[in-house]
Amino acid sequence: MSFVPTSWNQPVLTGEFTALGVTRILEAIRVVDPTIRYYQASSSEMFGKVREVPQNEKTPFHPRSPYGVAKAYGHWITVNCRESYGMFCCSGILFNHESARRGSEFVTRKISNAAARIKLGMDRTLGLGNLDAERDWGYAGDYVKAMWLMLQQEQPSDYVIATGKAHSVRDCCEVAFSHLGLDYEDYVITDPRFMRPAEVDHLLGDSSKARKELGWEPEVSFEEMIAGMVDADIERNQRRKDGVTAGT
Amino acid sequence: MKTALITGISGQDGSYLAEFLLNLGYRVCGMDLDFDPVKHSYLAAIQEKIEFIKGDLRDSDSVDRVLEASRPDEIYSLASQSNVALSLKKPYLTADVTAMGTLRLLESARRITPSARFFQASSSEIFGNPEESPQTEDTPRSPRNPYGWAKAYAQEMVKVYREEQDLFACSAICYNHESPRRPETFVTRKITRAAARIKLGLENRLVLGDTTAEKDWGFAGDYVEAFWLMLQQTEPDDYILATGRAHTVEDFCRTAFEALGLDFQEFIEIDQAFFRDWETRPLIGNPGKARNQLGWKSKTGFVDLVHLMARADLEALQQPNQA
Repeated sequence: MSFVPTSWNQPVLTGEFTALGVTRILEAIRVVDPTIRYYQASSSEMFGKVREVPQNEKTPFHPRSPYGVAKAYGHWITVNCRESYGMFCCSGILFNHESARRGSEFVTRKISNAAARIKLGMDRTLGLGNLDAERDWGYAGDYVKAMWLMLQQEQPSDYVIATGKAHSVRDCCEVAFSHLGLDYEDYVITDPRFMRPAEVDHLLGDSSKARKELGWEPEVSFEEMIAGMVDADIERNQRRKDGVTAGT
Repeated sequence: MKTALITGISGQDGSYLAEFLLNLGYRVCGMDLDFDPVKHSYLAAIQEKIEFIKGDLRDSDSVDRVLEASRPDEIYSLASQSNVALSLKKPYLTADVTAMGTLRLLESARRITPSARFFQASSSEIFGNPEESPQTEDTPRSPRNPYGWAKAYAQEMVKVYREEQDLFACSAICYNHESPRRPETFVTRKITRAAARIKLGLENRLVLGDTTAEKDWGFAGDYVEAFWLMLQQTEPDDYILATGRAHTVEDFCRTAFEALGLDFQEFIEIDQAFFRDWETRPLIGNPGKARNQLGWKSKTGFVDLVHLMARADLEALQQPNQA
């Protein structure tokens, strides 16, 4: 249950999956085989209304959504199972990580998909919330390597995984549309319906611990990632368009 | 007349709070899984004045029905699986009741009674192994057992509903608060009950774990006044409720046995099996914010509290049908 606005529509369900689910898994590991190594997908949403910029593993949490609270709970219990039961548990505090496989409700994918559909003449406009909202966006393919690396270490620990670079929703639009030779300003309209009740601010990750201890660093740049997402959406929408045309 | 809904009304805090609010002229509704007047004899005196409503925090529909039936102006969320040792054996149940139960109540309140003021009984267990001692409202959370995890989740959720949904919602980070109504699963009541039984010749020893552990112990009757005060402020906020003073389990034993004219050292046995392996820095609260902003302080001193509990246990055992 990782889409933040949904967590306000269904806070109890979000807690049951995202918080209670972790309790169930860790308890099962403890009972069945405590040597199983466990990776917990934690989230930068735990920092919410941030106490410092950038955020590292020691930054106190200030979540601003039921999803952020549930993730904070998952993090605490992962740390506690490691420290009290000696289990090999790691919490990866991942900042936003995107790809062509992102659900279309996430803003990066919404933009890449809309840019592709506009280019192909399937749509005319794109409605977005706050264009100045900034995020630390990395490439999901890079981030899963960090997850695996954490479980290959001698000692379990917690790591912030981030690019350390902030980009705005506007930047994302610019890259996506210009990759197709379009000017985003001709198509993007701001729509108050998409403004989130609580915009998290200045989420920017400091992943120096992961870089030092895991030897991890992001390989795909923001521009490459968005361009790749747009290409994938062009291909997918082109197929759909051709399919529809062929069928008529 | 204001209406208060108290979840967990048959517990220690629920019963003191019910008495306090009835004295102020509140209509008091009490939610609980079940009500057993024999088990909760201390509620007998006020039983007729309380509207009991059956409800289960594990079921959102049931929580909705309780709010619809009571229509409270103030909600006191006290219900919890509050036994730390049991929470280690039943982490899932503890999370479902104490963490998710609070969220279900908040969410039902937001939909059904959004103007009701919401009080959450949080716990010093959210600090677990704290970075500093004494702790303040800003000390980072590092809960160390499933009860602490659940209370930390509940408290963060209360804050999210306050900051993002404009609910008048507050959490009190309560340090240990005791009374003759504590169940014997808590070490304080275990000690005073044993001292009374030893005094009457019904027992001759008391087995304890680490008696050097330091705690911040106050009287539950004092703490429920702060619960109410928090909901009477202009702005909702979170407060530490504590005495700010540290006493060891050994201090508690000495004082309890002294109250009954006994020397504790003749009766105490230490058993390593009772040690919790992760007890670390002491949980001592800094009650400065509650003192300055609410004008509240823990009135009953340590010696008075322990004497009160020891004498209550002795009296109860001397009742003809108890011994």
